[in-house]
Amino acid sequence: MAAARALARIVVLLLLFLTLVPLPLTHAQPQPGGELALVSTEEPDTLDPQKTGTAVTGLLMRYLGDTLLTKDLKGSYIPALARSWSVSGDGLTWTFQLRNDVKFHDGSPFNAQAVKASIERALSPDTMSPIAGSLFGPVADVQAAGDFTITIKLKEPFAPFLDNLTDPRAMIVSPQAVRDLGDKFGRSPVGTGPFKFQEWRSADRIIFARNPDYTWAPSTVHAGPPFVDRVVLRIMPESAAQVAAFERGELSVLALPPTDVRRLQGTNKYTIYSFLRKGVGLFMEFNVTKEPFSDIRVRRAVSHAIEKNSVLQIGLEGLGEVASGPLPPSIWGYWDGIKEYAPKYDPGKAKALLAEAGWQPGPDGMLQKDGKPFSFVLYTAPIDTWTRSAQIVQSQLRAFGISMEIQTFEFGTLLAKLKAGEHPAEFMGYTYTSPDIVQLWFHSSNIGTGLAFSHNKDSKLDSLIEASRRETDQGKRLTIYRDIQKYVVDQVLWVPLWTNTNYIAVQPNVQGAKTHPDGFLLLNDVWLK
Amino acid sequence: MRAFLTRRLLLLVPTLLGVTLATFLMLHLTPGDPVTIMLGEFASASDVARLRAELGLDRPIVVQYLKFLGRAVRGDLGSSIRSRRPVQEEIAERLPPTMVLALAAQVLAVCAGITAGVTAAAARRPSVDSAIVAVTLVGLSMPTFWSGLLLILLFSLTLGWLPITASGGLRALILPAVTLAAPAAAVLARVTRASVLEVLRQDYVRTARAKGVSERLVVYRHALRNALIPVLTVAALQFAGLVAGAVIVESVFSRPGLGRLAVTAILSRDFPLAQGIVLVVASMYVFVNVGVDLVYGVLDPRIRYQ
Repeated sequence: MAAARALARIVVLLLLFLTLVPLPLTHAQPQPGGELALVSTEEPDTLDPQKTGTAVTGLLMRYLGDTLLTKDLKGSYIPALARSWSVSGDGLTWTFQLRNDVKFHDGSPFNAQAVKASIERALSPDTMSPIAGSLFGPVADVQAAGDFTITIKLKEPFAPFLDNLTDPRAMIVSPQAVRDLGDKFGRSPVGTGPFKFQEWRSADRIIFARNPDYTWAPSTVHAGPPFVDRVVLRIMPESAAQVAAFERGELSVLALPPTDVRRLQGTNKYTIYSFLRKGVGLFMEFNVTKEPFSDIRVRRAVSHAIEKNSVLQIGLEGLGEVASGPLPPSIWGYWDGIKEYAPKYDPGKAKALLAEAGWQPGPDGMLQKDGKPFSFVLYTAPIDTWTRSAQIVQSQLRAFGISMEIQTFEFGTLLAKLKAGEHPAEFMGYTYTSPDIVQLWFHSSNIGTGLAFSHNKDSKLDSLIEASRRETDQGKRLTIYRDIQKYVVDQVLWVPLWTNTNYIAVQPNVQGAKTHPDGFLLLNDVWLK
Repeated sequence: MRAFLTRRLLLLVPTLLGVTLATFLMLHLTPGDPVTIMLGEFASASDVARLRAELGLDRPIVVQYLKFLGRAVRGDLGSSIRSRRPVQEEIAERLPPTMVLALAAQVLAVCAGITAGVTAAAARRPSVDSAIVAVTLVGLSMPTFWSGLLLILLFSLTLGWLPITASGGLRALILPAVTLAAPAAAVLARVTRASVLEVLRQDYVRTARAKGVSERLVVYRHALRNALIPVLTVAALQFAGLVAGAVIVESVFSRPGLGRLAVTAILSRDFPLAQGIVLVVASMYVFVNVGVDLVYGVLDPRIRYQ
């Protein structure tokens, strides 16, 4: 569970991560050379995959390092540094056969000893690893059983184990470089990946150079070293400046801010890929322990009072789709019936439910109960599309006599307040790869510590979620997830509002770009025309 | 003179004590915790507790503050929670680009501001005066994040004269320095204009004019020098303002610098780093002001320090 929690950190960072669908292949002859310029709003904390907590470092480690196994473009596990693997009948002992033709960027050999040292470093308390340490789960022991065989013994079965091993932060680092560089490793990391670290100019750029020795690429890309000479990650905090730099040709790839999508599409100059975000982009969540939303009738009334399409059209400029339940269609486990099942905009029902709950219009037209007006504060973060959406919801609720005040907090502050349960209701969003995200949002063990901002203690929901994590039969899991989605809608813990479409613009000279369903660009096959 | 300097430098001690105490309290009283931000929202309670203990964050605030002071006195500002690098190293890396930007902007602001101010004050035609006053109003009112983006759109995207992302080099400095200098120049122009106008009404100016000294000489030799004291005071105060303004300009132009580092430090509740930056900037502020006091004496020989 700890690992899934750590993984899900991405969620809260709320970065518009590259979550792409496979792009078509081009068939022209690739030319070597050139420089590919990417951009990030955030600067990595460190480039040590085992010490990092920032999402952008995870992204970069895809290029700098290799993991024992990885996922192909359909999401199936395929060999990477491990040729093959097997697990004992009790699910406790995992054995990996390693490649014997790999070496680290510093020239040191890759073997079972290196893998053991790398994993043990991730697990060591001295490393103080925010994410990497928990990826491996409840490890009892790591043993090199020969030069190219490694066994990992677990204390108990750990379902996300293989999936976690494909996480870039589980990459194998060079134990020799770790020893030689000490604290400096995070500013000059050494892995086995298609690109090697060249330079980090603080707050400006990070430069990776082609690894000419790279012959151990996974089967999703061509076998040899990458074509481009360099990959440069520019760090630019201001999104308007990113767009200007992209239009001037100083950046090769850019995740477009919603305000620029239509304009850049209109120029017809760039290849623009779009895909539905893997997550619910915006939902309103109720704190069920606080008035007035402790009353389910009030929650349901609000869900009938909000007309979501206007929120989508005005708040997000229509760049996405209306959301209905806790999972979006882009995540496996989504139940299609939720669209019909979820409450619809229905002023009559909303009014009736409010009246039933004891809220009557006062002399000024605003609802009141026992002399107290119906007013609450919506907690939200300073994100343009959220703020605009909040204003629409505010005016829609006002028509029902509900007064909603919008309060915006810086993200770190907001999370602290939501955990403490100060809020009556809030705006949130998430990005995740699996339906297991429901555990983070709804399991009562996450109240006060994790993401369970609805503060809803519900043994039925808890047991449904626990069942979904134990069940190995995929068909049965789907049924459980369907029940969870229905139950969350029944309890009106959320009013899901919209899920945005992400847009990635690519310069016309960039060829061979391949995108991975886990949300990153494969650069091995990219070449510049 | 020496006594004056000693006294001013001794004043640095209570100033910095006050500044560190205020920053320390503000950072610790703001909701949000560096350990949860560092470990992620989903870290287990035991991991959080362990790391808090390792970082000494579980101690009472007073103890934490005293420990910080004890180390700081010995020149050790601790390590950044986010990057795990020594705070000194982080600041040493980011201070020079910010100083270059702030100095360039200061030079631009002083040159442009004083020239415009004197021209406005000495202008024979009221229309010139009004035009300059109007332009300064625009310069004052435009927020830098907006004017910076406009300059990017015009000079980088439309005209293509200057790079958007290139860092280092003089060409990359032009737009950020202009953006940062504009409001400062506007203030200086207004202060200069008012000050020169006042001096021009003094008896000795009338005497100079009566002697037949040319208007040019009257304004630049006799009036300006005496009018400069308030201008200098404002300019010195502005310098610290420029370092603060660099926060926004550095973000808009993607320049590395202390301003952006400070924002990251505060957002990630990186207490040691934020504390270190504030300490450095506050010391700079004090030193600049001591320097200005000394320059007063040069401008006006009547001013003496004992």
